[in-house]
Amino acid sequence: MINNWILIGLLSVSTYLSRVIGVEFMSGREMNPTLRMYFNYVPIAIISALIVNQILTPADGEIVISFPILIGCLATAITIKIINMFLPSVVIGIAIGILTRYFL
Amino acid sequence: MDTKKRTVKTGFIEALPLAIAIAAYGLSYGVLATQANLSLASTIAMSLLVFSGSVQMVTVAMLASGATFTSVLFTSVLLNLRNLLYGAALAEGFAPAKKKWRWLLSFGVSDEPFVLGSARFQKHGPDPLYFGIVASTFYVAWIISSYIGAFIGGQIDPLKWGLDLAFPVTFVALLIPSLKEKPIIATALTAIIIATALEYLIPGNELTIIITGVLSPLVGLYLKRRSRDD
Repeated sequence: MINNWILIGLLSVSTYLSRVIGVEFMSGREMNPTLRMYFNYVPIAIISALIVNQILTPADGEIVISFPILIGCLATAITIKIINMFLPSVVIGIAIGILTRYFL
Repeated sequence: MDTKKRTVKTGFIEALPLAIAIAAYGLSYGVLATQANLSLASTIAMSLLVFSGSVQMVTVAMLASGATFTSVLFTSVLLNLRNLLYGAALAEGFAPAKKKWRWLLSFGVSDEPFVLGSARFQKHGPDPLYFGIVASTFYVAWIISSYIGAFIGGQIDPLKWGLDLAFPVTFVALLIPSLKEKPIIATALTAIIIATALEYLIPGNELTIIITGVLSPLVGLYLKRRSRDD
């Protein structure tokens, strides 16, 4: 519990620092375009890794694919590609995941 | 006075559609935070103090999968590096404001405010007030929706409602719309391959996220440079 509060404190300080340093100290300096692009790709990589992390779950020292999660994710991917709306796609993905769990 | 009023109105109107989208993320964040066993108070406190969708989402996802303090912190630093770019790009637009106000405005520097702010500054020149209105609108939407999400999340049986599916599915919904350019798609595919390989090699290890986050963008970068050199 206390750990969570310390974590929140550290996260808020590090996040605020990254913002204010950008505004106050980096302005007027040209950042290397390669570095700029690298930072733009980091969130994509981390989000992808987190999805994989949720689909593959460790059980008894081995990795198991969770089919309800995998199929739910695929359903969301297809839905958001077609209708391009965040909340409905999430709801459809979860519904299909629940159905998969129920019937599998 | 009149132009000030108009700026406030424009900022609010332009922020509103995005504020609704942010509220949808906030709602998911609140629900997910309760899944990660965060109390209602710490869920809201994180929204009040951190105010960063990506950092907060990734943090609760990592906490739910049992990651350590250090790896959560390291990942958030990695995610925050792009704020340096946003801040540097927005600095000129904040320039007319006094230092204390610039430091306050800095708190609002993140993905969505950057997009609206930089578009405004390009068209109309520096406009700290506009940015302040936009960021405040998002802040209010983020906090209220986090609260509602955490409240709902604490009230219902997670497995019955498929809330364990909320994490991966939310992240897919965040990821897919951004997969437009080849280097971005390549980064995502590389991340999937590296993360899968790491999980099979060393099941359940928490370095997966960090290693994947550091290495995969290099592939995107390589493709981007090659396409430019052609």
